[in-house]
Amino acid sequence: MACLSIDRVSKFFGGLKALDNVTFSVNEGELVGLIGPNGSGKTTLLNILSGYLSADSGDVVLHGRPITGLRPEALARLGVLRMFQLTRVFPRMSVLDNLLVTGSALGLPEAEAEGRARELIEDLTLTRMMHLDAGQLSGGQRKLLEFGSCFMVPPRIALLDEPFAAVHPTMKEIMADVIRRRHAAGQTFLLVSHDMPVIVELCPRAICMNAGTVIADEKTRAVLTDPVVIEAYLGEAAA
Amino acid sequence: MAVTFSDTRMRDRIQLVFSLGIFALVALLPAIVRNEYWQGVLIVSMYFAMLAAAWNLLAGYTGQFSLAPAAFGMIGAYVTGLLSYHFNALPLVGIPASVVVAAAIGFGLGCIVLRLRGPYLALTTLSFAEIFRLVISNSIEITRGDLGLNVPGLFDHRLTWYYVMLGVLVVIQLGLYFLLRAPAGLYLRAIRDDEIAAASRGVKTVLWKTNAFTLSAAISGLAGALYGHFAQFVSPELGLLSQTGIIVSMVVIGGLGTLPGPIGGAFLVYVASEFLRDFGGYQLIVFALLVIIFGRFFREGLWGFFRRAIERTARRPAPATSAAE
Repeated sequence: MACLSIDRVSKFFGGLKALDNVTFSVNEGELVGLIGPNGSGKTTLLNILSGYLSADSGDVVLHGRPITGLRPEALARLGVLRMFQLTRVFPRMSVLDNLLVTGSALGLPEAEAEGRARELIEDLTLTRMMHLDAGQLSGGQRKLLEFGSCFMVPPRIALLDEPFAAVHPTMKEIMADVIRRRHAAGQTFLLVSHDMPVIVELCPRAICMNAGTVIADEKTRAVLTDPVVIEAYLGEAAA
Repeated sequence: MAVTFSDTRMRDRIQLVFSLGIFALVALLPAIVRNEYWQGVLIVSMYFAMLAAAWNLLAGYTGQFSLAPAAFGMIGAYVTGLLSYHFNALPLVGIPASVVVAAAIGFGLGCIVLRLRGPYLALTTLSFAEIFRLVISNSIEITRGDLGLNVPGLFDHRLTWYYVMLGVLVVIQLGLYFLLRAPAGLYLRAIRDDEIAAASRGVKTVLWKTNAFTLSAAISGLAGALYGHFAQFVSPELGLLSQTGIIVSMVVIGGLGTLPGPIGGAFLVYVASEFLRDFGGYQLIVFALLVIIFGRFFREGLWGFFRRAIERTARRPAPATSAAE
């Protein structure tokens, strides 16, 4: 059953066609990698899926319910949780409070929210930093914290935009491990990354975008050996 | 089940204790300050402390830099003043009406500026404040314009005023503390730190920004109404931009985004301004310079000095006990 369906979504920025009839769906419990060279439209698509941009045309459906044009907070409440490419945490709030914001806003009772936040903090090896302000964390630790925010309440779909970019391998492995375990438990993911080894290891299926269109959508290894994908990444000569 | 305090909450608790310490000191001051004029200065400081606490909720905890706090004080003062002047309404009717009207206007302003940030928000709220002041100033048949309105007093004794104002200030401060402890406090601070991130985590940013505007305006309206009855006179001067400048300087010097900062700042700045009164407009230059210095070098204001002192004391190791003991 489709968890998220994207149907002929297009977006223009002035004369630039950022997304051109993008169509694909992510099934319940799937972990799908979304790849493509810089400027291919991945983040624009995520911005539309999470309510930060409105599509010029096309529809987005979550579990049979149209969600096109809903505001970010409404989408979060429906279970569309998103991690940004440029890390977004609350720098003047403690690590624990950063997580409590999500738990509380998504309706968890205070005690339960605190329990879950502490579990996540332990999972993400941030226990020592729990009471520090998020602004005092390193870049990688902030990524971990934002990543953790997506799982305070099990999302219907987690949209992760470049979680592994500029992150120490140890932290990368911590996030990959959480993704593996949650995927095994049935969690649905759409994972944007330039880190091909991680995409190959984590994602059974990958979608490649180029110039605002989907150019490949199949098993990850097949996508990575597709001449059209190689050409998009490395140019015509390489293909 | 009680929730364990995170550091943010512990900080709020320490700040509340510190605020209560300031209030205790203020409560004892009349034993030393017996001069009615100076007691009046302290009462007006409390009026400013209410306005500063209200503005701090908006700017310090929600990140909404409004330039209309004095205007809401003026609106509160005029609502009860006009009700009294035209309808002989009792202060017990006028004061709640001031709170309701200021809150309603604050709600309206909050809705208008919802999508604005930074300089656009500041300029829009400034324009709003000036429009209101000019409307009051020019509606001579209703408001008597720049002549101002005489407003009936509420208490005969200055000390009664003193402790009523202090009581209201304590209630406001306790209310703000409990608000910050509640999930609402998490949402407001999240909006202040990163509105986009807050929305992506499910925080209803529109609702909470509007709530902050409404509550801040209601507190300012209450402060203005009480001031009107204390001074027994209201005029459009209450809404001057220079009044907003004083409120901003009180909060920045005391500590933006802290509980005791606006309270301590209000007393310091207003009492200091009384000492500097002989220098006329130059007192504003002194405060403006202090705002620049604090904004540039001491972002936590005077509270930052106290916080560091408290932390140093807490970190100091306890004296070692001897084996014999």
